[in-house]
Amino acid sequence: MIEVKGLCKSFVKDTPVLNGIDCRIEDGEQIVVIGPSGGGKSTFLRCLNMLEVPTSGHILIDGEDITAPHVNLNRIRTHMGMVFQHFNLFPHFTVLKNIWFAPAQLKLQSKEEAKENALKLLARVGLTDKADSYPSQLSGGQKQRIAIVRALAMNPKIMLFDEPTSALDPEMVGEVLDVMKELAESKMTMVVVTHEMGFAREVSTRVFFMDGGVIAEENTPEELFSNPVNPRTQQFLKSVL
Amino acid sequence: MDFLNSLVSGFEKTFIRDDRYKLFLEGLGNTLLIALFATLMGVLIGTIVAVVKVMHRQTGKLRLLNAIGELYSTVIRGTPVVVQLLIAYNIIFAFSDRAVLVGTIAFGINSGAYVSEIIRAGILAVDIGQTEAGRSLGLSQGATMSKIIMPQALKNVLPAVGNEFISVLKETSVIGYLGVVDLTRAAERVITRTADVYFPYISIALIYLVIVCGLSWLLKKLERRLARSDRG
Repeated sequence: MIEVKGLCKSFVKDTPVLNGIDCRIEDGEQIVVIGPSGGGKSTFLRCLNMLEVPTSGHILIDGEDITAPHVNLNRIRTHMGMVFQHFNLFPHFTVLKNIWFAPAQLKLQSKEEAKENALKLLARVGLTDKADSYPSQLSGGQKQRIAIVRALAMNPKIMLFDEPTSALDPEMVGEVLDVMKELAESKMTMVVVTHEMGFAREVSTRVFFMDGGVIAEENTPEELFSNPVNPRTQQFLKSVL
Repeated sequence: MDFLNSLVSGFEKTFIRDDRYKLFLEGLGNTLLIALFATLMGVLIGTIVAVVKVMHRQTGKLRLLNAIGELYSTVIRGTPVVVQLLIAYNIIFAFSDRAVLVGTIAFGINSGAYVSEIIRAGILAVDIGQTEAGRSLGLSQGATMSKIIMPQALKNVLPAVGNEFISVLKETSVIGYLGVVDLTRAAERVITRTADVYFPYISIALIYLVIVCGLSWLLKKLERRLARSDRG
């Protein structure tokens, strides 16, 4: 479970990007975060695993405050996978090593176990034949599917997605969303920042609409898309749908 | 004909008489040896200094080490290499008369200051997303740096480090100040015997030129090979 209390973040003094966020995400929920650019969606997501250090406020993962000083962030992060807009695969590793490297390096698994597990994960996304390729030899959609299973190789309890399909050619968006849908069906706790309204509607348990550094509106996808209350939500949905 | 004759006699005087070519070979050997080991040492020191500086900038940790690194860069890059050589040989390592060794160390320390800037730029050129991906998987800052960032950074800067080797190779020509017989000193030794300045100086200039051109050619090939592997 993720609890966020009064989360604020400013990169430049007195110009907050996040302006007091409170929310509670239960295990097994799939949250989709939508909103105009500059609204703080990505910053919010990146605070959840402390890639951005909040200016104030607290984030509790299963009751543990990860914003407290001297928290072992490396341990926290092993339970939270993250998928980036630009994939960020390691270009000097083969596809397989991209997947097995972190669990083996952190001694969560032996190298052999980690490699075996990596092969299973590759099979799950239908990319077994790419095991010995390098990332530069893959298409965008393939890269993002690898990035997802790289995060899954750590057996995370929570998966964060930062605009996972925004850098993809349109015909490759589907293959990535399919993997994410499958993940949602397995009841993985997910927080997804995306512009894919179809995905939000179909897959999410709740949608957060973020604007001006706050969650301006949150609701089930059915309610939020058909009966938005906040005028800013209405305006945003009108412009994107 | 006169010109050709003087060329032949110059060559004979400079290289053949009294087996003087052996002196040049010894000098060439020392030049290459010092340049090679000084560059290796420079890469080692430069890597450490670069990592300290980058980590300090990213996290604010390693304050003391970073201050030492800054002082080191300032002093080394702010003083002439000949002065550094003389201080190393006559003051810091005054207990030792192994001039080749002391010279190599001094050139290595000198080179490290320049290499650290090259490697620092190489590290900063690696996309920040690589660090974020590593850290988001739970890898420590150290593991992310050594296993994810450095391999990519070093590959990026390999051609520049090759250029540094070429620079060091030419710079070693001042090591005669310590009495080491390098290529340049070999020529001077011969000149004191033959009183002919033309042939020895032009000869060593050509030798340096040939070596540097050869190395540059190798570097270009290396660079092309690296570019190809980038495209996959």
